[in-house]
Amino acid sequence: MRDTFIETLLEEAKINTNIFLITGDLGFGVLDKFQKELPDQFINSGVNEQTMMGMAAGIASTGKRVFVYSIGNFATLRCLEQIRNDVCLMDNSVVVVSVGAGYAYGPQGYTHHALEDIAVIRALPNIEVVVPSDPLEASQITKLLAQGSFPSYLRLGKSNEETISRKDLITQLGKVNEIISGENGTILFVGSIGKVALEAASLLLNKGISVSVASVPFISRQDTDYLVKSAKKGPIVTVEEHAIRGGFGSSVLEFLNKENVAALVGIIAAEQNNLSQIGSQEFLRISNGIDASRIAAKFLALAGDSNQK
Amino acid sequence: MKDAVAQFPSASNLALAARREIIGMTSAAKASHVASALSVIDILSVLYTGAANISPANKERENRDIVILSKGHAASALYSVLALQGFFPTEWLNKYCQNNSPLGGHVTFKGVPGVELSTGSLGHGLPYGLGIAMARKLTGIQGRVFVIMSDGECDEGTTWESAMIANHHKLDNLVIIVDRNRIQSLTFTEDTLKLEPFADKWKAFGWETRTIDGHDHISIERAVTKSNLPVCIIAETTKGKGIDFMENSVLWHYKSPSDIDVKNALSQLENNRDA
Repeated sequence: MRDTFIETLLEEAKINTNIFLITGDLGFGVLDKFQKELPDQFINSGVNEQTMMGMAAGIASTGKRVFVYSIGNFATLRCLEQIRNDVCLMDNSVVVVSVGAGYAYGPQGYTHHALEDIAVIRALPNIEVVVPSDPLEASQITKLLAQGSFPSYLRLGKSNEETISRKDLITQLGKVNEIISGENGTILFVGSIGKVALEAASLLLNKGISVSVASVPFISRQDTDYLVKSAKKGPIVTVEEHAIRGGFGSSVLEFLNKENVAALVGIIAAEQNNLSQIGSQEFLRISNGIDASRIAAKFLALAGDSNQK
Repeated sequence: MKDAVAQFPSASNLALAARREIIGMTSAAKASHVASALSVIDILSVLYTGAANISPANKERENRDIVILSKGHAASALYSVLALQGFFPTEWLNKYCQNNSPLGGHVTFKGVPGVELSTGSLGHGLPYGLGIAMARKLTGIQGRVFVIMSDGECDEGTTWESAMIANHHKLDNLVIIVDRNRIQSLTFTEDTLKLEPFADKWKAFGWETRTIDGHDHISIERAVTKSNLPVCIIAETTKGKGIDFMENSVLWHYKSPSDIDVKNALSQLENNRDA
């Protein structure tokens, strides 16, 4: 996903010389081509995320579109106030880009697990939170962001994610990207966990329950029609590789509350019972409660409740 | 108002008028930081009377000089100078900190002509100014960037991160002016977190360092001349400068002038002017 991002950004930056890419000394083997081809639009700031983010905002204030690239927590939590004051408040044209969403850096330990970034950035005003689910969405969304000027947070996975989304172009912010459609309910997911959501849908289908599965790349602005329709259709289970506190599932609950829509919503998110646990992305997902069987079980529990009513 | 520039042609007249406004504003608003504003007012007055290439006429131009007041708590100083120089009506100063006023207790950019950056959380102005200086270098745009910081603010790590970056990228279009009044929030800077040897630190980071009397207008004007290095001007100042009972006192970092204080302060300014 990060390779697709950088390839797309390079193409856009060749056309629009106002696009800048700043890295906090990360991206070995990933950013080289951009640096080589567009050295005047590339800055390696060094290991200094707070100053890097303030600097990015300053550069953006001169009319540039500035992408700031680092690993999950370093691009977000480490420089949160710079994002809040210098980017959001000043309405500067900065795209904060983080790589390694969720447990993508699993064996590297908790310092490298990005599990609170959506909640934290989502709490800020005036910033678009965007999470592509696969390389295809990453490419389309990068193009949209490169051509925009609004403050944004782009949360990327790492590498080797399979493409699962449909070939429909994402041409506007806020649209849900439905992968399969079903009659009895909906699984909504963010990020590279889509494959697991689809497995859960298969498990449900085996029990004669057909559900829609959709990627929700735009977290800070919801697709009203789709969510209201889903809430009326049946249970909704949200899936994210992120903490439950303030994450994607919370955002769906907030949205439905705002719209005064009654709905059955279940949230599957990282349980974080052992912060020091080491392991592969797949291992950590499962040991933190994110797998197909638990998504299916959550759905069935909600559906059972709904039958009783 | 439209004759503000003609009315206050010199930095010293501007500084005097601004000191009066600062005392009135902080008293009316029951606001803090009057001494911080009096400390930095001479620096701002010199910059906005020609030392920096910025005026109401060129404030939108791409190649203007940028002035960022990173010590955003001295907002009353910046607002006074901008109003007196004609960036916006001086009547706005009467609404400082009032409901729906554009002028907040910390520097607020929105709807305030001449303000480049909202500040108030220390350590933000320098990275932001650094970014503007960097972008200008990369795209060949003239005009310098002045960032005015407090000395206590130099406790922030972004100061020294920025110092390294500016040196590495040879940003000779970046000038820091440190308002070295030696007092920070709770006590003296050297009792809180030693900054000295302060000038040597900046030199070691590759900056040209100029130490001056931060209330002497001629010294300030001379200190902002161009260099082939990033420049750090250490402006030795007195917190609360110009009002004897406010000078060098931690109390006046917070205290708002009472009616009696205002009367005494204004008469001091008047007497010193005559002297």
